[in-house]
Amino acid sequence: MAMTALKPGARFKSAVSDAQVMVIKAPAGEHELSCAGVAMLAGADTAPDGVQADAADSGETLIGKRYVNEDESLELLCTKGGAGTLALDGTPLEIKQAKQLPSSD
Amino acid sequence: MVAAPDPRGGLAAHAPTQAPGEQALAGDYARSLLSSLGIAVSEDLAPAAEHPAIAAARGGLTVLSGCADGPARLCPLPLASCADGALAALAALAGSRRAAFDDLRGSDLLGLRAAFNGLGRNGAIAPGGSCHLLPTADGAIALNLARDDDWDLLPAWLETAVAPDWHAVAAVVAGRTMHDCVERGRELGMAVAPRVPVPSRPPPWVRGIEVWHEAAPPLSAARRPRVVDLSSLWAGPLCSHLLQRAGAEVIKVESTHRPDGARSGPAAFFDWLNAGKRSVALDLRSDPGRRALRALVASADIVIEASRPRALRQLGIDAEALVRARPGLTWISISGYGRAEPQAQWVAFGDDAGVGAGLSELMQRLYGETLFVGDAIADPLTGVHAALAAWAGWCRGGGGLLALALCDVVRHCAGFDRPADAGALHARLQRWQARVERAGLQPQLPAPPRVAEAAAALGADTDAVLATPAHAAC
Repeated sequence: MAMTALKPGARFKSAVSDAQVMVIKAPAGEHELSCAGVAMLAGADTAPDGVQADAADSGETLIGKRYVNEDESLELLCTKGGAGTLALDGTPLEIKQAKQLPSSD
Repeated sequence: MVAAPDPRGGLAAHAPTQAPGEQALAGDYARSLLSSLGIAVSEDLAPAAEHPAIAAARGGLTVLSGCADGPARLCPLPLASCADGALAALAALAGSRRAAFDDLRGSDLLGLRAAFNGLGRNGAIAPGGSCHLLPTADGAIALNLARDDDWDLLPAWLETAVAPDWHAVAAVVAGRTMHDCVERGRELGMAVAPRVPVPSRPPPWVRGIEVWHEAAPPLSAARRPRVVDLSSLWAGPLCSHLLQRAGAEVIKVESTHRPDGARSGPAAFFDWLNAGKRSVALDLRSDPGRRALRALVASADIVIEASRPRALRQLGIDAEALVRARPGLTWISISGYGRAEPQAQWVAFGDDAGVGAGLSELMQRLYGETLFVGDAIADPLTGVHAALAAWAGWCRGGGGLLALALCDVVRHCAGFDRPADAGALHARLQRWQARVERAGLQPQLPAPPRVAEAAAALGADTDAVLATPAHAAC
């Protein structure tokens, strides 16, 4: 994935692990999502030959967790867990804290 | 408990003018629950025989079903009697504490929250307001946007910009398929369910995931079991409320960052559910908080939780491993759709689970109206069943990991004594409507019980509980 527009609902998968995400919210313009230092893949794209995870990245992307950038203009939901730290334009994303519980259901 | 034959079990005991057995459905259901737990039943456990339609009219179920400006709609499934039966079964197991259930009727639990909080029927909008039935291109879905953050998921769910209001959501959903809405919504952790029929074969109401087959020696009745309740809202807290009545010591554990959301709801209902429980608040984002949580869980005879399994594993708590390591433990897992994959990832609340179980599809067929049945119906039904499973597990010396799913509990109740076909269902509806009319009973909400005591403030007992060494683990 080169620079691309990120639309809510779009899915991306790691090129080097099982991790998969869905875009919940995204900043305008074109950006690059990466996992373990390698650009993530959209839709049916397959990983280019010979790509390797950043050996220094020991991060883990956890299923069900939401990931945000610093100003929370980007929010991703991890739909499948896997190795590697998620990053937007090279800056690692953080886990967003869990939703507040409703007062009733 | 005596394994005596039930004198009222045979159909011959009933007058031929009445449909066989209907008056005794609650008692039959109580016996069926106990028998599924391997408990021999005595004849005296049956609740007062009350017709299922009368129980539904008196306990709030009927008055909470229907359009706001139309008549209350009787649902011809014995849901209210199942609640009565489940509570009667629990009371029977409570032995000398049985009298603690005298002021409570299972069927009243179905209307209790609405009675406390002033809720009423509202057709395709659930009484609580956050769950709506929405038509899609090929069916209908229940969508529950109970949490404020749920609204943020709509653009990703629908893959288009959508104004954050129900009209805009309904307009987009109308052009989508039921399957796509449900599939994507579940993936996003939204509480969404398809409006589907009641399954032809009811699932079990509880599943033993890790069960200690060589039952440990039954524990001394003299000791009160300690319940550590990690749940929130309604089903789980109702379960621990009922266990408290049965004699348990209950510790309600909440996250300081994410306390039980019901604390910010109407106080009387929260107090009724939670009074008498000790309140422990822990910072679950910190290591000491997580250690304290694990220590509390290790001190429990009964754990109640309503989290997705991965959420607890991420806190360092593995239910399967804990029950394997400690045969005396009873672990109650409450989920929307069970612990198997992929259902373990799906979220449900009480209203959408009732739709997923088939209640709204049934009402659509019978009345041609798009309706919810009751108020968050799966919550009180599951809470009372969970309490029975928990107490039975404790009584036999440890129940292992017992999983209850909101949707399956409703399906199980809906399938109890179910008419064989559509014709028989219609006949039952007419019979039940006539029965209510004959009784001259207007469908009503139960009177909210008197609340004599406030629930403990968040964390009021944290220091005291953490300072007390737990009794030796069994």
